[in-house]
Parts: sequence; C-alpha cells; structure tokens
Amino acid sequence: MRRTTRWARVAVFAAAGALALAACGGDEDPSGAQETDDSTTDEDDDGGESTEPITLTIDVFGEQGFGYEALYEQYMAEHPNVTIEERGAGLGLGDYNERLVQQITAGSGAGDIVALEEGTIIQFYAQTDKFVNLADYGANELQGNFLPWKWGQGAPGGFVLGLGTDVGSMAMCYRSDLLGAAGLPTDREELASQWQSWEDFIATGEEFVAADTGMAYLDAATNVYNSILMQVAGNGSGHTYYNTDNTLDLDNPDIKTAWDLTIDMIEKGLSAGLNSFSDEWNAGFAQGTFATIACPAWMTGVIAGAAGDAAAGVWDVTDAPGDGGNWGGSFLAVTAESEHPEEAAELVKFLTSAEAHVTAFEALGNLPSSPQALEDPAVLEATNEYFNNAPTGQIFGAGAADLQPVYLGPQNNAIRTAYEDALRSVEQGERTPDEAWEDARRNAEGIG
Amino acid sequence: MSIDLNAPAAPRGGPTTPPGRGDPGRSQRMKTRLAKLDIRVSPYLYVAPFFVLFAIFGLYPTVYTIWLSFTDTSPLNPTTNFVGLDNYATLIGDPNFWNSVFNTLGMFLLATVPQLLLALVLANWLNRKLRGIHFFRAAIAIPIVTSTAVVALVFGLSFFARDFGLANGLLELVGVDRIDWRAERWSSWLSIATMVDWRWTGYNALIYLAAMQAISADLYEAAEIDGASRARQFWQITVPLLRPTIIFTVIISTIYGLQLFTEPLMFTSGSGALGGGSLGQFQTVTMFVVEAMRAHQRWGYAATAGLVLLLLIVVVAAINFALVRRLGSER
Amino acid sequence: MTLTTQVVPPPAGRLRVQAAEAAPRVHRAGPLTVIGLTVAAILSVFPLYWMVIIASRTNASAYEWPPALLPGGNLGENVRRVLDNSDAAILKGIVNSFVAAGTITISTVLFSSIAGFAFAKLRFRGRNALLIAILLTMMIPVQLNIVPLYRLMIELDWLNDIKAVTIPFLISGFGIFLMRQYTLQSVPDELIEAARVDGCSTWRIFRHVVAPALRPAAAVLGLLTFMQYWNEFFWPFIVLADPSNPTVQVSLRTLNSAYHQDLAQIFAGTLIATLPLAVIFVLFFRQIIRGIMEGAVKG
Repeated sequence: MRRTTRWARVAVFAAAGALALAACGGDEDPSGAQETDDSTTDEDDDGGESTEPITLTIDVFGEQGFGYEALYEQYMAEHPNVTIEERGAGLGLGDYNERLVQQITAGSGAGDIVALEEGTIIQFYAQTDKFVNLADYGANELQGNFLPWKWGQGAPGGFVLGLGTDVGSMAMCYRSDLLGAAGLPTDREELASQWQSWEDFIATGEEFVAADTGMAYLDAATNVYNSILMQVAGNGSGHTYYNTDNTLDLDNPDIKTAWDLTIDMIEKGLSAGLNSFSDEWNAGFAQGTFATIACPAWMTGVIAGAAGDAAAGVWDVTDAPGDGGNWGGSFLAVTAESEHPEEAAELVKFLTSAEAHVTAFEALGNLPSSPQALEDPAVLEATNEYFNNAPTGQIFGAGAADLQPVYLGPQNNAIRTAYEDALRSVEQGERTPDEAWEDARRNAEGIG
Repeated sequence: MSIDLNAPAAPRGGPTTPPGRGDPGRSQRMKTRLAKLDIRVSPYLYVAPFFVLFAIFGLYPTVYTIWLSFTDTSPLNPTTNFVGLDNYATLIGDPNFWNSVFNTLGMFLLATVPQLLLALVLANWLNRKLRGIHFFRAAIAIPIVTSTAVVALVFGLSFFARDFGLANGLLELVGVDRIDWRAERWSSWLSIATMVDWRWTGYNALIYLAAMQAISADLYEAAEIDGASRARQFWQITVPLLRPTIIFTVIISTIYGLQLFTEPLMFTSGSGALGGGSLGQFQTVTMFVVEAMRAHQRWGYAATAGLVLLLLIVVVAAINFALVRRLGSER
Repeated sequence: MTLTTQVVPPPAGRLRVQAAEAAPRVHRAGPLTVIGLTVAAILSVFPLYWMVIIASRTNASAYEWPPALLPGGNLGENVRRVLDNSDAAILKGIVNSFVAAGTITISTVLFSSIAGFAFAKLRFRGRNALLIAILLTMMIPVQLNIVPLYRLMIELDWLNDIKAVTIPFLISGFGIFLMRQYTLQSVPDELIEAARVDGCSTWRIFRHVVAPALRPAAAVLGLLTFMQYWNEFFWPFIVLADPSNPTVQVSLRTLNSAYHQDLAQIFAGTLIATLPLAVIFVLFFRQIIRGIMEGAVKG
C-alpha cells in the first residue's frame, strides 16, 4: 500500500510535469498574453515594407472593455504586421488599478498601452519617467482633437502622458417600470423637467418611497455622492479633495454640499444601500432592486451588461438633475517598458482619433472627448436601443463641450473611498451623519 | 540513551588490515578522519538548505522591512526620507490600526475557541464503535480540500449575501429579520469565523482522534469499574492526556488565525475590499498592512504595521502556550 | 519541540498505527453521537454540494428562494464558459499551480526529511537553538515582508513568473518538524547504531536506514504540502499581477472581480479549482487521515 502511494504520487507529479512541459512548450493556451519579447519570429512580409511582425498588448478595464474590437480589426487590416492583444476586459477598475500601479512602479508586467482612468492618471504625474512622452511621436499636433480640459488632464506640464478616450458626462438612468409602478412619470422629458435640481430629485424620491413598492429609489448613496460632487465642483471650485497645488482641501464647501444632499437622500430612505460594483449591486440591475442610478455615459454599457437582455427596453435615460457634471473618462498611455513605443504611439493616436471615438460610442456608448466627434451626426443623433431608444447622443453629448474640468489630487481614489465608506456606514445605520463626516475627514487626513 | 550515535565506528580490536589494501594504518586513519568529519559536519550540511533559503527570502526581507519602517518610502514619493520612529508613533496613535488589532484578536478567539472545542467533541464521537465510521471521518475531513478563496466565495457570495443569501433566507423562515452581515462587527465576525471553522474543525478533530486512539483502553475500563460517568472520563482522562496535542493545535491555530487575510478580504465583493467594511468592522491587521501598501501607497508605514503584527503573533502564541499548559495540569 | 505524550510508548511506525486503529474503542456509539456525527457530516459536505448545485445551474438559481437543492444540467456549459474566459485564464492557472505546488512538494519532502533526520538522530552543537530558530521563522507572517520580497522579485526579475511563487517556499519549517517527529518515533536508535558500527557514513545511514522508514510520512507531507500550495492565495495574488499568468486561486479572484457577476460561472470555476484536490483526497484518503493522525500525535 505504501509502495502504491509513493508510485501513485510519482505518477501524479510526472503527469503534472508532462502537462507543464506541454503547456510551456507550445503557446496553446488561448489566454496567454504574448509579451512583446517573444515576437522575433520572422514571417513572410506582406508588401514591400521591411517591418517585422510585432504584437502590441493593450490593457483595459471594465465589463466590456472600451468597445475597440472593430477598431482593432481595422487597424490590423491596415497594418498587417501588427497584432493587437487586449487584456483586462472584465476586470473591475479597483483590481485593475491595483495591478497597474504595481506593474508601473515595478517597471515590469504592464502592456505596451495602458488605459488610465481620470482618477488614476493623476497618480502617475509623479512617475512620468515610467511612460513614453507621446509628444515625441507627434501627439502635440493632435491637441485640437480633444476638449481642452481633457487635453490638459492628460498632458501635465507639457508631457503628453495620455491621450483622451472618453468623458463621463452625466445623466440619470432609470427603470420606467419601477417608476411607473410608483405612480411617477416615465417619460424622459417629464422626468427631466420634474427633477431640475437635486432637491427636486429628492422630492420625487420621497413620492416614490411613499408609494411603497418595496423597491429602492436609487442604488447606492456613494454613486449619487460622486456624481453630485463632480457636478458641483465643476461649477464651483474646480477641484475636489486637493487644491491644484496638491495640498489637501477638505474644507472645500463643494464636498459638504454633495455630502449634505446625499445624507438627505439616505435619511429619507431613498437608497438601496448597495456597494457599487459588488455582486449584489450587479444583481440589482437584473432583479430590479432600484429605480434610478446616476449615469455617466460609460454606465450605460455596464447596465446593459449586468441587466442582460431580459431588461432591454425597461431601462431609460434622461437628463440628470443639476447642471452638467462629469464623472469618469479615461486616457491611453504608452509605457516606458514597451519595446515598440513608436508603433504603440501610432496605435494610441489611432484609437483616440475622432473617428475611433465615434466607433467606440456606437459600440459601447462611451462619450467621445473629441470635439469633432461630439459634433458628428453619428453621435448627435445616436439613440440607444437598449435604453428604449433614448437619444443618448443628445442627452450626453449636448453640452459635453461645455463640461468643466475638475482637478483630482494624487490620492483621490483612496480619499474618495474614505468618504464612500463613511456614507455607507450611515446607510447601514452604524453612524450618524456627523460622526461619519468626522470619520471621513480623519481618514482622509491620514491618507493625504 | 547510552548509545552514542555520533561516535565513528570504532575499529574492532585494533587496526585490522583488510587484505589487498595499501598502507593499512594510513588508510584506516584516513577513514577515521573522514568519518569524524562526516559526523561533525554533515548535520550542519543537512540543516543548512533551510537556513540558506530563509536567509535569502526570510531574513533579508525582514531586515529590509525593519529598515523600511523607519522611512517614508512610497511610489508616490520621488525621494525616500529617513523618518526615525515617526511611523511607529503614527501607528500607535492610529485608531484604524488598533481597530484592526481588535478585530484580529476577536475573530481569532471567535474562530479558534469554539472550533477546537467542537473538534474535541467530534473526535470523541469519532472514537466510538460504529459501522460506517470511516464515512463520517471522510465527510468531516473533506473541507480541507477547499482553498480559502473557494470558501470565501461560497460563503461570502452565497450564504451571507445581504439580499439573496441562504442565511438570510433561513432567518426569514423562522421569522427573524434579515441581517446585513457586513454592516456590524459581530455579524461580520460571525460570518468569517464560520468560514474558518467550517474549514478547519474536521482537520483538528482528526488530530485529536489520533491522540485519543493512542490512549490505552485499560484506563477507561478502570474508570468504568470505579463508576465514573462518560463525561467524567472525558474530562479526567482524555483531555489531560491530550494536552500536548491540544498545545500543538492551539499554537498552529494561533499563528494561522492572527494572519487571517483571505476570508475577510473576499467577504467584500466590489471596491474597497481591503478596508474590511465601511467602518473597518472586519479589517484584520494583515488587511491593514496590505491596504497601507496597495491602496494608500505607504510602504514605510505598511512595514511598520507588519512588524508590530509579528510581535503580536509571538506574544499571543507564547501566552497561549503558557495558558494551555497550565489549564491541563489544573485538571 | 520537546513535548511528549504521557501515554504508554507505542510501537514504532506502521505497527503503531495499526495498533492504534485496532485499539478496541471502549464505548459504543450512542444515538446522540450518531445524530451529532450525522449533523456534522451534513454541515461539512453541504457547502461543497451547494457549489455543485449552483455550478450546474444558472445565475438566477443562486437567488431563488426556496433554494434549489438538486443539481441542474448546465454544468457543462458553465464549465465551458469559465474555460473560455480568457481573462481568468483558469487553465493556465491550473497548470501553473501544478508546477509550482509540485515542485515545492518534491523539494520540501526531500529537504525536510534530511533536516528532520539530522535534528532527530544526529547530535550536534546548537541543535536545540536551531530548532527554536526554525519555530520562530514559522511565526513570521508572509504579509510582513511583502514590500521587500516584492522588490526582491523585481531585482531577480521574477515578477509575474512562477518562480516567484515557487522558489521562496522550497523548504518549510513545518515539514522539518513533522519529519523530525516521525523519525524520532519510527526509527529506532539501535538501527542507526548498528549502521554506524558497520562503517556507514551519515548519508548512507540516511539513504538506506532512515529514508525507507519515512515513506508514509513523506507521502503525507507531500500530500499536505501540495494541498497547501495549491490553495495558496495571498502571495500569488500580490506577485502575479499579470492576469494571463496566474495560479488557480488568483484566477478565481479574477473570475470574481469582473463587473458582471455570474455566480454559476464563478462556482463552476471553484469546482474546477477544487477538483484536482478532491480527486487526490478520494484516492489517498486513508493515507491522508493516517498521516494527519500520525504526524500530530506527539505534538
């Protein structure tokens, strides 16, 4: 019996070894991202160009990535020597960022091209040496292709760190069936005029709660808070937790304004109290646990993915309360570790061109950051079938050019988490609003 | 032990000359010298690989960590400064840190004490005559094949989900309100302790069972004749004789329990998992360390917290050791 | 460790276990015991069974009340979706885990046996001190040194490489203690003495006298080590940040962190991740149980 054990064990490991050899020997694994190092195979060249075949890796995040599939096809058709590998679609922003920071700091492991969310790119202002200055590859000529403030965000001090992909803008997505069940209007125009201000929005919410449908009015206080903050800050101080010189500004009245409005909503029982991007939050779209959700343009893709086909047509979009507002939006950058910076830069310029922006918008609903794209009829007149044929181009696009920039500081993500945690503790009934406010401040000061 | 295992083989009856060899005396002395060298040196050679590996991957990083704890190293800082004991001072004054210590100790107690007691009881039951006892042993042991990640997913996502979890469903069935398991300390501790207990109780039960089976049946028979009840037999015979084994399980559980990380981490899905709840209700010290490192980019501070954790483990392990030793002998 | 049990010294090695297993259990199991054991068995097995149920159904089933208690027919499809999920790379994860855990296992068993033998049967200066040192090293949490270890991985260029999760763990303190314990119990000093008298070098003693006797313990240490490193999550999570080169537990995390949660898919993933271990468990169950029991009796 002992001998059998030992031999069986040896057999198991021999099998494992054989498996390992098989896997490591050939690249049969479809998911293996090909690092640019192993691209030395010389295939036959197409045409007369003496360009070697290379592979470019691009790191993205989010449920459905950035909607670039068609663009990849197009680019690869035009540049036969280039193969594009996308990694990360399906990865949540939090996990993606953690990985990315690690990889960039280590100088190893990131793709040739990486997506940087607006909150993340700030962190890398201090590490521009880890990125390629796209100005070296002619990016400066493209400055007019981007909204001015978007360009500024991506090019600190003249170093072109990233070129803009999308901007968030702001709208309100809602489930018409749930609002209807509560006796509220379901027509876009009516709703938009009903909740012109956040106070009106809250009043509508109180009506909803009074109707006692068993569902919540909105998904999470944290989402509303972030939306209001970005809106108010955009119209007000122009920054959130940090001054533009990177000193902490926790006394910024915009923060308190957003906070107070959110607390009001919590106290009136409007929130489902979910943790955004958690399983239950995702489940909530399909199950219909909440009626409204603050909706930047990229959220439409998230909703469609999470709620699935069963809920098509039940979701709709209308203007958000308040004026303007922008939450989210990303950039594409080229890492210094890339072995093909020139080709990567070309690809980045392609993916952030006006035409590409339009394609991405059509694919996923991400709002272009390019003024030309914003004026393109394909955008202006776009409707979103999933959202009951809402004129998303108008809702998100009109006024996008007037969006105000908001300065986010280096530790924006961590501090935002601190405030979100504080709000959640109020939602859970664990803290009074005043206590939570103090918690958030204290934690933020510790981080900043 | 009167046999000296380390003495080289003494040549019997004076130097002998194996036929056919060269200079018999010299060869013999050479052999003896080699043998002596072998005896003296080989133990160190055999033990060395571990220490070499540890020196590279354990000692060096630990020394580096100690150095780190005196700096403000961070990927956000282009320069690194020596800050002396500032990190330690900040840590001692950091309520979040003490919160995580409190959580760690609390969860550890909640997870370990019932677990080991339950394991004792289970072992006692498994120590009976029963057909199909092997099936029971296998069933109780099978949780060890799961990884902590798997346990956290099954329990966190499915059982203890707020809106659609099984646990809440069961509660409603008996007329109790749903619980938001992650909202409060006690409920999150209970959930996480359940996960840990589920996974390790069977394993510890088997360990105790083995020790129980080494106890001679005569002792029990004698006690039976004396009229001792089964309960008394258990406490007076079984438990004291199990003391060394109990010590072993307590130490191992302590070391593991104070390092708890995966279960509480995966208890939160969505963003901010390292925070361990909206108020850090279930943030352990390890999560605190990793949060400082990854979410707050404060490497020096993370190193400081990690070192204090090590100190905590050593102290608590020592206390547990002393406690269990004394408990056993009092009985 | 210098603790010993205070019971009648049992016979060595295999004989001892057989004696233990054959030891007449004094009491018969009463009804309370049977009920208790049944409940414990159900509680132990149910979460795994639940995993199978959800993995073989759709995401919606996870949210049903009353819950579905029988497996459905979607297992194949869910498994296929998991395997196709290129971001989780679960197949790569399984292969990597096999390689890493396998390498660590072979190395650990080998070196722990040698060192355990040295601590058990060889006398040398500083033996006890070194033993305590090993115990102390076991108390250093992995999390303590993540920053410097991470930096070390960068310097060695092992980041996102399987070496990072393999080489630092090639010998374990726990393994040394276990093998030492077993050697103490099951290899009589007389055997070694006799071998010495016969002129055997230390290495030959180990190879021919001690090692054969250690086989059961080696098998068990091997199984336990393999399981431990198969299930290891934390360090691989930190150091294998490239999603295309994970170990199996990190794949699970990726599977779970995507925006769109599909519980059925996730549980199909956990099923895949657990299956190899479950197979090993079923095949080697008696050895595992015996080994756990043997390894820890002396404390």
